[in-house]
Amino acid sequence: MLSLFPANDYALIAVILGMPLLGAFVNGIWGKRLGDSAVKLMTLTAVGVSFAAAVVAFIALAQGVSEQNDAHVRLTWNAWEWMHTTGGRDGQNIPIDVKFSIDQLNGIMMLVVTGVGFLIHLYATTYMAGDKGYARFFAYLNLFIFSMLVLILADNLPLLFVGWEGVGLCSYLLIGFWYESAPNAAAGKKAFLANRVGDFGLLCAMFLLAHYTGALDWNGIANGASSLVHPGEPWRVHVWPIGGGQYTGVLHFLQPLKPFTVSAATAVGLALLLGCTGKSAQIPLYIWLPDAMAGPTPVSALIHAATMVTAGVYLICRLSFVFVLSPFTMMVIAIVGASTALLAATIALVQNDIKKVLAYSTVSQLGFMFLGVGVGAFAAGFFHVFTHAFFKACLFLCAGSVIHSMHARIHDDDKAQDIRRMGGLRKWLPLTHGTFAVATAAIIGFPFTSGFFSKDEILYRAYVDRTINPMASSPLFKHFKLYEPPTWIGPVLYTAAVLAAAMTAFYMCRLYFLTFWGDFKGWTIGRPSLIAKQELGDEHGHDDHHHEDLTSPGYPPHESPWQMTVPLIVLAAFSLFAGVLNPGFGILKEKPLDHWLEPVFKAATEGAVVFGHGNDAEWAEHLEWTLALGGIGAFLFGTGLAYWMYVAQKGKPAARLAAEFPGAHQLLLDKWRIDELYDATIISMVDSLADTSAALDKTVIDGILARLTALIVAASGTILRAFQNGVVHMYAAMMVVGIAGMAWFFAVPHANATVVDAGNDDYVVSAAPGVGYGYRWDADGDGLPDQPDFAEASSVKLHLEPGKGPITVGLEVRNAFGLVKRKSISVARPQAPISSL
Amino acid sequence: MPIEQYAALSGLLFIIGGVGFIVRRNVLVQLMSIELMLNAANLALIAFNRSHVRPLAGSAGAASALPSHTGQVFAFFLIAAEAAEVAVGLAIVLALYRLRRTIRSDEADLLKN
Repeated sequence: MLSLFPANDYALIAVILGMPLLGAFVNGIWGKRLGDSAVKLMTLTAVGVSFAAAVVAFIALAQGVSEQNDAHVRLTWNAWEWMHTTGGRDGQNIPIDVKFSIDQLNGIMMLVVTGVGFLIHLYATTYMAGDKGYARFFAYLNLFIFSMLVLILADNLPLLFVGWEGVGLCSYLLIGFWYESAPNAAAGKKAFLANRVGDFGLLCAMFLLAHYTGALDWNGIANGASSLVHPGEPWRVHVWPIGGGQYTGVLHFLQPLKPFTVSAATAVGLALLLGCTGKSAQIPLYIWLPDAMAGPTPVSALIHAATMVTAGVYLICRLSFVFVLSPFTMMVIAIVGASTALLAATIALVQNDIKKVLAYSTVSQLGFMFLGVGVGAFAAGFFHVFTHAFFKACLFLCAGSVIHSMHARIHDDDKAQDIRRMGGLRKWLPLTHGTFAVATAAIIGFPFTSGFFSKDEILYRAYVDRTINPMASSPLFKHFKLYEPPTWIGPVLYTAAVLAAAMTAFYMCRLYFLTFWGDFKGWTIGRPSLIAKQELGDEHGHDDHHHEDLTSPGYPPHESPWQMTVPLIVLAAFSLFAGVLNPGFGILKEKPLDHWLEPVFKAATEGAVVFGHGNDAEWAEHLEWTLALGGIGAFLFGTGLAYWMYVAQKGKPAARLAAEFPGAHQLLLDKWRIDELYDATIISMVDSLADTSAALDKTVIDGILARLTALIVAASGTILRAFQNGVVHMYAAMMVVGIAGMAWFFAVPHANATVVDAGNDDYVVSAAPGVGYGYRWDADGDGLPDQPDFAEASSVKLHLEPGKGPITVGLEVRNAFGLVKRKSISVARPQAPISSL
Repeated sequence: MPIEQYAALSGLLFIIGGVGFIVRRNVLVQLMSIELMLNAANLALIAFNRSHVRPLAGSAGAASALPSHTGQVFAFFLIAAEAAEVAVGLAIVLALYRLRRTIRSDEADLLKN
């Protein structure tokens, strides 16, 4: 297959990318006229063909990998040249092309995006049936798949940024899909703005990388990465004073005794991390993700669980060779991940909206991924991305199925998602129940499911891994102390992660038991319902739900059609068995995924990620089983507690706890009031700035400047109006005055001159020409004319060596009437640009 | 005769025409003043024509130069322009007289708005 498409011009990527774009285009432009069934056909074909092409590309990639003995293989396709910039130590040319590549890392990502994307599209064609924005929805969804593929297949950072912004845009459009309701639109806006903050970081990182490494494509950055760590003062990033200047005058007290600098690797890493926290919903920018659940449920499954939010983790994996150069950044990533995992898990403990619980669970799981990549276990973190895509997509789609069936009974968006009104649904939704149970088992780490292996690997590596700077052994750093993370960080991260895992087990089981076990609590709300009536065998379908006849009995919840359940079954199967790709504990002699990804991460992790205890491999191996006990214990404890609380005791202990600690309970319900904190600090700061600007606009701009302008115009109008009296005689007189003025202008000479840089330190001074003009120059600067008489020569040439001051040239012009005008022209070399280094 | 005298006469005629154009209110006299100014220009053109020569192709120096006729040709064009100007000007005067029963320029005040 490599013979059809050569590896350095792999044009099949055009099909993978082009089909979703085509789908978005067709559905976006003609969707309304085509009708729902045509839209369905188009959107499924687009993603399906894309998936098929992705599979073919992946097979070709695997073939290439085996041919080249497990080297890092890239199938590249350069669509067109985009633009150029310069950067790096030697100011080299940096080409920025629209170039895509598939390697071992994004090959898997590509399969997940198109594969899971196809299943969710299939699900959505039924879930969204009857919505008046049907075509619009699928146009957005296809556009999202396209943008996500651009993001993961991009071969350079600017092109990745295009996809990054594209998925942000689609996320915004789809969160606010039902834009008629104000909270949905507000949620979309919040997501967009939170992401902007992150994008700022990503842009800064791009500028720094271009400046320090002189490249923006993956290969180039990898080659130039060693420039990011250099002990020399000019190669460090000055954080304070910003850019390494000097504060003088009134601000001199801001000048520190010693400038605070960080290595370029740390600056780039932290800036990238800011971008990743925005997209992947980590502290401090996680606040948008839970609100993003305002969008339709398939969107939550596809964008806000399985694919887009993992873009941050993908970027860290992609640029792993940059991150490992700064152990400090790595530690920050791990800490951010662990604390996000903990914080989000505590909030999820008490939420009552089925989608909110899953949203916080997503934030928490993303925290686990960050923890994994932060300790240098890139493959483990990426494995969690992979398994999480399956089980979280499955959970969200199950939630959609539940909401779908609840919605049939309760015509209210909020109440249909409230788990306190559910219960006992396993009786009516057997398939949804089964798949939900499997996916829950995976996320809580039920032994030998996919989530068990991926999460356990992260816990284990968090404890035993230690990141050191790979440049530490370089002779450059003989007299320069590089940062080393403290040794106690591993156990702390491990403990936090185990706690978060225990809470995950608890809240997921709580969700599962409240939704599917016990008695159905939805009878008392919405329409009065009679089960007996249904048992008589009445036909019922979707249309029944939409008449609002409150006197007729309603129906109990019902299972969804096959288009919705088939994706559930496939995803559940993957959640159950995907673990075989990377099982720990020496079950397989070689972990397939680790082995597959090894060429991608090998260069980065070699010498940078070592075992603790002085890289003692035996010590780490011995700990694997011991540390797994933490994960299994967390699973057992959380599940058991949830079972006891919500099944054995029917929720009484939970109610008692909430009543006993009303403050703490309310704090968790209010999501630690982080939104309120942001409102009180950053947002109110921005608001007051906006208010000040508005007041300034009203008083100064509108009040003074605008009025003054109007006054000037009106006054000059009044004066000029006096001249426009309509009397021909007056006009004629004015004409004569004007002609006299022109005559005067031509009668006196004008000594104007221009200076032109002629190169070779020569400057030419040329006088403006005129009728009958003669020129007399004083080019030597002695104040006396060079020649006694006026001549025709209208220009002189000067030689000005670098470093010499300005020369004053005298010019005398005489016109035909014998009138003479003098002028002196100062000729100076242009200021040399201030050297930046 | 030196060129300065021609120039002075031309300038004098031009100033007389200009002043006459401003101070007189009779449109016909103003038209005559315009003619005077144009003729002043004509005189200057013809006079300066003599002091300008065209260099002969292939040789250098004033000795082998041909007299130029540019100024005189220009004067002819100017005479044609004057004739057209008078035709239009008199038509306007006639129209003004029919409209306002006057040929005084300060009573021709319909040019506003």
